[in-house]
Amino acid sequence: MTLDCFDGRSAQAQPAQIWLQDGALHVLTTQLQRHPVRAVHWPERQRHGQRQVLLPDGAVLSCTDSARWDAWARDSGLRDSLTVRWMQSWRGAGVAALLMLAFAFSLWRWGAPAAADVVVRWVPPALERSIGENALSQVDELWLQPSKLKAEQQQRLQERFAALVTASGQGATSYRLHFRAGPKAMGPNAFALPGGDIVLTDALVEFLSDQEDAVLGVLAHELGHVKHQHGLRLLVKSSLVGAMAGLMLGDFSSLLAGVPAVLANAGYSREAEREADRCARDTLRAGGLSPTVMAVFFERLQGLRKGKEGEGRFSVPSAIASHPDDEERRRFFSSPN
Amino acid sequence: MSDTQAVLAETATPQAAPAAIFGDSHAPTVPMQLEPRELKIQFTGSGSEYFRIWIVNLLLIVVTLGLYLPFAKARRLRYLWSNTVVDGQALSFHGNAWKMFRGFVLLLLLSGSYAVASRLSVTAGIFAFTVMCALWPSLWRASLQFRMANTGWRGLRFAFTGDVAGAYKAWLPIYIPLVVMVAAQLLLADAQLRKDFSAPVQVYAVLMGVSLLTLMVLTPWGLARIKRYQHGGYALADQQTRMDLGTGRFYGLGFKTLGVGLLAILAPAFALGVLAAVLFAGNKMALTVAVPVGVLVGYLMGFAVVGPYWTARLQNMVWSHTASQDLRFDSQLKMRSLLGLTVVNFLLMALTLGLYRPFAVIATTRLRLEAVSLSSEADIDRWLAGAAAQYQDAAGDAAGDFFGIDMGL
Repeated sequence: MTLDCFDGRSAQAQPAQIWLQDGALHVLTTQLQRHPVRAVHWPERQRHGQRQVLLPDGAVLSCTDSARWDAWARDSGLRDSLTVRWMQSWRGAGVAALLMLAFAFSLWRWGAPAAADVVVRWVPPALERSIGENALSQVDELWLQPSKLKAEQQQRLQERFAALVTASGQGATSYRLHFRAGPKAMGPNAFALPGGDIVLTDALVEFLSDQEDAVLGVLAHELGHVKHQHGLRLLVKSSLVGAMAGLMLGDFSSLLAGVPAVLANAGYSREAEREADRCARDTLRAGGLSPTVMAVFFERLQGLRKGKEGEGRFSVPSAIASHPDDEERRRFFSSPN
Repeated sequence: MSDTQAVLAETATPQAAPAAIFGDSHAPTVPMQLEPRELKIQFTGSGSEYFRIWIVNLLLIVVTLGLYLPFAKARRLRYLWSNTVVDGQALSFHGNAWKMFRGFVLLLLLSGSYAVASRLSVTAGIFAFTVMCALWPSLWRASLQFRMANTGWRGLRFAFTGDVAGAYKAWLPIYIPLVVMVAAQLLLADAQLRKDFSAPVQVYAVLMGVSLLTLMVLTPWGLARIKRYQHGGYALADQQTRMDLGTGRFYGLGFKTLGVGLLAILAPAFALGVLAAVLFAGNKMALTVAVPVGVLVGYLMGFAVVGPYWTARLQNMVWSHTASQDLRFDSQLKMRSLLGLTVVNFLLMALTLGLYRPFAVIATTRLRLEAVSLSSEADIDRWLAGAAAQYQDAAGDAAGDFFGIDMGL
């Protein structure tokens, strides 16, 4: 067939006659050149756009009539690559889209948790601790004040909790319990950081001043987060899901890309809360305390929340009070088994 | 590898060679002045075809855990280039996917250690940030060089001729306040380490505030320098572009965008506030709904109005002032068309969980490319390849992706 040949040195097109023979592309302009088929960069078949053949000497063969090129390529025995055949078929593209959705779902459901398991196994405890300590020094700087609780009260809670941890056979889990006064918006709250730092706010101790066992229940819940390394896991899982969402949508709109990441994280942390609740219940039982003390806590939280709604607030932004709803959790701690 | 070396050798041959081959007795030393002729720019890509390419590429990327990315990118660029038709001839993309793969792996290692460093500790993060800042202008230049050197038209390769020093100088106005910001962070981290709070957070805040303000004030100047450098460095054959556009125009655009932004974000926020006050007077709960809704509306307005306004005006301003000896660009991108397209794209992408994205890419590319026109006074048939096109390492191109930069078109 004939097409335009640009030799790579001049912008002037020369008519060229091309054919395939003995595994070589023959290009006849004012002279005849041969290029081994494998050394030529062939265009991929596509419905739109021009066909350009990149020759090893820098010359470009250009065919503006793509249908004519495709017919020639087929007749000359040039075969499309598997990927090109896949891309040019709507059925193939549909299968790819379904596989992609299945992949995204499996990544969220199994892949990210499995990756988190691996990372948790390989990250040295010292590194995890330093991540937690960094986070603690940052929240200390930004939001927290030293605790105003009496030293004896702190001491008693420390000792009772240590006894509970030992009694429930979790002595191997290393943790550090910190008392802090949080800002008002933080409310009665407790949270665990990667590496085993557990922070308890004064407001929570006061909130449950007549129910010290419930404070221990809250701490046992946080210990559950520490034991299962939820902080580090969540970090890994959310990074993976975020990367996936970013790959699909990122450079168009960060808001759109953020939505699946936020949804996936909500799912993960709900799961983590349930696991920590189970841990809290087992710990309380093993320590000879009744898990039903937690029911009191959730009832009071509900009360607090209702009161706050009247004031124009939606919820108590409490880490322990976050995901699964209070009623469900109250029942969980009240149930006999 | 050997292919590209061969190509390199070819293009580096003295210019006498082509004349000899063509038996062209008039060496093209006397440029002929011709009547200006429009070189029509068309974009022939199709959304549905690009969708199939995209979805298969995406699947291959994820099953190879990202390793297919450079190959997918090469195919994507080849598709877009072969559908960008200038005066009847499409652009050609010459990037070698394997070379791009090498650059990609390098960047992966670099950004991986960057991410780890910034997670580990503040100081390590700042150190990594400083290293990135120091490398950035030269990586940016390398990505421009790679992109241009691998783009061809009528067999001739483009080139980017800006030098390293120029790249650093172009970024200087933006760098100064950035360095101050990093220094402030360093000081704070240091104080935290030593548990020394004698110089309290206020000092840090003031430093941050001042450097942020400086950054805002200097950004139009920085952008002007960056664009002048970028648009002064494109070359094809004997044509070398330049951009004659004063810094004042960039400040003008900055102020106008600020005004548009204030109008677009504040007006609906105000309307929403009034509406909420009237409808839910006395109900404080309504406020908790109104505030996030207001923030969301603000973001959407910024995305749908301010973004397209800025993009369209900047493209028009910059390209309409770009010219070479015989070529003149003109861009007439209508802000309203871009705005409409952006809104439609956003809605359809949200509705289709992102599957609409390739259609959006094609539509946006078509709108932006076809808004540009190009007129030529040269006899293009007489153009010869520039002195020595350089083939840059693909690391620069990968870096360009990493930092999300592009050619401004």
